[in-house]
Amino acid sequence: MPITCPFRRLFRICLLAAAASLAGSAMAAPGERLDDRYCTTCHGADGRGNEAVQAPKLAGMASWYLRLQLENYRAGIRGAHPGDIEGLAMQPMAAGLTDESIEDILDWIGGWKVIPATPTISGDVAAGAALYRTCATCHGAAAEGSEALGAPALAGQNDWYMVTQLENFLAGARGAHPEDIRGAQMRTMTAVLGGEQDIRDVVAYINSLTARMVE
Amino acid sequence: MIRNPFCDLQPMKAEPARPVSRREFLHLLAATGGAGAVVKASAALGLLPASAEASTLQLAPGNGRSALILGGGLSGLTVAHELAKTGWDCTILEASQRCGGRIFTVRHGTLIDELGNRQVCDFDDAPHLYFNAGAARIPSTHRTLLNYCKELEVELEIFVNENKSCWVQDDAMLGGRPVRNAEYTTHMRGFLAELMAKAMTETDMDEPFTDSEAETLLGMIRSFGNLDEEHVYRGSFRAGHASGGYLDDGVQKDIIALRDLLKTRLGMGLLRASEGETGPILLQARGGMDRIVDGFLRQIGDRVRYRAMVASIDVRDDGVEVACDHDGSRRQFRADYCFNCIPTHLVTGLDHNFPADYVEALGYVRRGAAYKAAFQARERFWEQQDIYGGITWMTNPSRQIWYPIAGIHQRKGVILGAYDYINGMHHTSMTQQQRVEAHLADGEKVHPGYRELVERPVTVAWHRMNHMLGCSARWPRDSGGWSQAEQARYRLLQAPLNGRHYMIGDQISMHSAWMESALLSAHWALNDLDLRLRNSPA
Repeated sequence: MPITCPFRRLFRICLLAAAASLAGSAMAAPGERLDDRYCTTCHGADGRGNEAVQAPKLAGMASWYLRLQLENYRAGIRGAHPGDIEGLAMQPMAAGLTDESIEDILDWIGGWKVIPATPTISGDVAAGAALYRTCATCHGAAAEGSEALGAPALAGQNDWYMVTQLENFLAGARGAHPEDIRGAQMRTMTAVLGGEQDIRDVVAYINSLTARMVE
Repeated sequence: MIRNPFCDLQPMKAEPARPVSRREFLHLLAATGGAGAVVKASAALGLLPASAEASTLQLAPGNGRSALILGGGLSGLTVAHELAKTGWDCTILEASQRCGGRIFTVRHGTLIDELGNRQVCDFDDAPHLYFNAGAARIPSTHRTLLNYCKELEVELEIFVNENKSCWVQDDAMLGGRPVRNAEYTTHMRGFLAELMAKAMTETDMDEPFTDSEAETLLGMIRSFGNLDEEHVYRGSFRAGHASGGYLDDGVQKDIIALRDLLKTRLGMGLLRASEGETGPILLQARGGMDRIVDGFLRQIGDRVRYRAMVASIDVRDDGVEVACDHDGSRRQFRADYCFNCIPTHLVTGLDHNFPADYVEALGYVRRGAAYKAAFQARERFWEQQDIYGGITWMTNPSRQIWYPIAGIHQRKGVILGAYDYINGMHHTSMTQQQRVEAHLADGEKVHPGYRELVERPVTVAWHRMNHMLGCSARWPRDSGGWSQAEQARYRLLQAPLNGRHYMIGDQISMHSAWMESALLSAHWALNDLDLRLRNSPA
């Protein structure tokens, strides 16, 4: 179960309401849509991911993982570190979501066609395979992910997104928030990565797992 | 070839030449520091596209051919309008609830669909209370746009850009006290003219000016800076009167010391106001810039499907298939040709069958982050300060305050409270509350009591606007301009893919952010297709 503090959330919602009223803005105009199904503007048609705006693939991501991340964004656990450029852009999108909105979004995403991402990054696959042994403990030998271990699937994901996230974990731009339990675990594990080349190699290996998935 | 600015001066012979060459003179000017900004300004002027005749089209009859137009921005509307005139079957698929793209006028009830910060404008409901959050100025040299305004009966009025009565404010200058633009620029020109006159009179000349030329030039310099007979600047009424002037003797305002004026770098912009793109007379559509959009929609409004978000584009040999999400279901459209003004950085997120180099070019274009904010003012306090239109310049992040021409002498007005066209992310990354507070604090430095004088803020962070995520396309990565590789990418996107799919919009031009560019891009595509059709037997 995701760990969230209900009072914090209530407080945030009140703050948002106060901000909205100060800004003199109602939340919806007559005849306008009221849902929060905005994802595809950035994340692309059917959530296929869009590198041009650095928005990763959502289609095929497990609901439990998406829910946890949306809740983390909403609570400012993710996307609050100044080094997390893309997360900072995402955080306000989630800040105003209700639990119902999150479930609605997850339902929507669940209906999308899943197309494995096209590789954009190359590296030493053999070296990456060796590094990936550590990752496999949680993410699985085929990078299929494990809800029990709190590890998302990696196969099929945009490689450029995985590079950014690994860099963020290494730099403490992701996973350093005291309430980000899973992120803290991940930060410990990324210690096996020595730097940029290791990141490229391990992501290249994950790309090879994506290719196998496609077959 | 640079035209010699002196070639019109006659007669050139007979008079004794004075001993300074033009080059040395300019060199000297540069050495004194005054000309650096001038040289830069003229380089910037080089970016101004040549004034041209309006682009007009003579398209062959459509004979029932069909076109899908992706996006109801200005270029898409133009294509639909022109093709509809010649008998094409056109459909516009627009992702949002409105057409116009970055021609966006905010008024009572307007939805500002920013991701994560949805706002509904609550200005009072009155014709003059509006805010052009995107396109706001039409230079009189933008002939194609003006032609459409005429054709579509869009009423125009003069837009006031430079106004010497507006303020200049920099925390670093005079303890942050705002001064009138006229004060700043008059004094600065006076000091610059002194430098120029010194360079003229104290230097030996080895060639070119005749006495007559030198006298003319010196006269201009004196006039430019309002120097006295000794070529000294001693203040000027151009900076405004301290008192009197009508029934009593006028008293000049005190000079602000050059050292104080140099505390701000705003002068670089102030001294080249009304140059380049803002040099021609500027116009605006009366009642809001979206009157232009309305004009197009009066012609082709029934061909627009709103909230139709494109999901895939399949370019084939015999046409183009497009899938779009509309009312919760996915629908297929097919047409002979497709014109696409969806922002390049969003096209890359669609399902498509484009070749790799085309995708690479689409992904190469970076998105701009322009940002604007506005307030409704409870009273038109600027009119009490002799300000009717124009722009106040500040060094703080809000940068500019624009005063409206609409609704002169009415009780209320809408003012632009911030415009950052360079680093809009500064405000974009703030919450709505933080943005508004920042603009109130910045405005307070120019207009004491601002906080109480303004209300009902709206902010438009283009980088986060739904279905746009940017304003405007940034092609060159180097400040020196377009590289050859960049031009090649641009030409690749401008050309039709498989003869069927045209990317259009100001993004497919070398001069993004202007409506004229969007129109010329649309016309280029239409002319190209027309030529292909005329030359093909089928």
